[in-house]
Amino acid sequence: MSQNIQESVRQCAVSAGTDATYLKDFIVKLDGIRPNERPPVFRTTLVLRKNVTYRFSLCNLENSEGEAILRLYDEANMLASTYYPETGKEYKSINFSCQKSGVYTVMISFKEGKAGETIGIMSYISK
Amino acid sequence: MIKQLFILLLAGVLITSCKSRPKEDLRFPGTEMEPGELRISSQAMEEIVQNISSPIEMAAIIKDLGVPFSSQHLSKISTEDRYSTSFNMALSLGILGADLGYLNVYEKTGTSVNYLSAINKLADGLRVSQFFDFNTLKRLATGSTNIDSLMFLSVHSFNQMDEHLRNTDRNNLSALMIAGAWIEGMYFATQVVNQTKDDFLAEYIAEQKITLNNLMVILKNFANDPEFAKLIKELELIKSEFDKVRITYEMGDPQAVEKDGMLMIVQQENSIVEISDGVLNNIIEATAKVRNRLLTM
Repeated sequence: MSQNIQESVRQCAVSAGTDATYLKDFIVKLDGIRPNERPPVFRTTLVLRKNVTYRFSLCNLENSEGEAILRLYDEANMLASTYYPETGKEYKSINFSCQKSGVYTVMISFKEGKAGETIGIMSYISK
Repeated sequence: MIKQLFILLLAGVLITSCKSRPKEDLRFPGTEMEPGELRISSQAMEEIVQNISSPIEMAAIIKDLGVPFSSQHLSKISTEDRYSTSFNMALSLGILGADLGYLNVYEKTGTSVNYLSAINKLADGLRVSQFFDFNTLKRLATGSTNIDSLMFLSVHSFNQMDEHLRNTDRNNLSALMIAGAWIEGMYFATQVVNQTKDDFLAEYIAEQKITLNNLMVILKNFANDPEFAKLIKELELIKSEFDKVRITYEMGDPQAVEKDGMLMIVQQENSIVEISDGVLNNIIEATAKVRNRLLTM
């Protein structure tokens, strides 16, 4: 990983909040949508633990054309998103209070299928 | 007449050709199968490895409970003789990584410098030191003012070292590093719960059943190696107690709350963990025994 990217990840991790302890990062770079294709999506699975609150935050890189969206899923449903197109509501981060330990999925994509680069951070939130 | 002769001639040709065909081997290849090794794909291994509990999370939970720091929980940095094989180096790297996480969470940066030095040597031995910026970490630790950056760089370095091991076909060493970190994190948690009897922590420990099962899947991939076989046998002692833990689930829809511009999702689905005091005590005891034996392996 280049020093620049590592520094960007560090800054993003630190900006997650004073109550946040960095656990993991996702560096996402996606091409823009091509004709007759679905928008590209980054996908990763995580194990989250009961009685722990996690924060998922995003930091778009400067040269990113698109704005990143992060969605959190359990095995069946979408639990949360940083962007709800129906209402236009946007959030820089999501706090998830986990009550069921298990495997969850994080998906990151960019609005309107544009090309983009972003850093996603998963943090542990102190009580 | 000619027609009858032709038919007889044809029949004769057919009978002769049947007799002259060599006997076919009627056994089909693959009908008898040797029991093969169970192998899991690199992708599956990567998914499992990435989802083993972070020892940082364990340390942060313990601190959140208001439990004071205890240096007694830390492993002693051993002599270099013990770090002579890559097996020992990788296992120790995981163990010391968990110790470093514990120290950082409690901001014991003075003590962490010794652990940083030991980790640096192990990383060098395993050829992953390019991902461990010792000088910067030491500066941050001795400076004691930029804890967030120290925490980030410590965890990030370990994530990168682990990823590099897997990318360079050293999945076995990655598995050992993860195993070392897990057992040390479990040791912290079980020692604390033994003192505090905290139900929340007991439940967290009980749910490590799932993590240990995943860890065993990875380790058994290398069971042909005698050292791995020994490690697996040790962890089976803990697993046999975890097998008595019962986890069930209740369904529910999540609730969303907006606060200070941030979206908060509170899950209503619930996992219900059943662990008796006896089983918990056995897990505490087995974890301590296994962890202490691994330190002398």
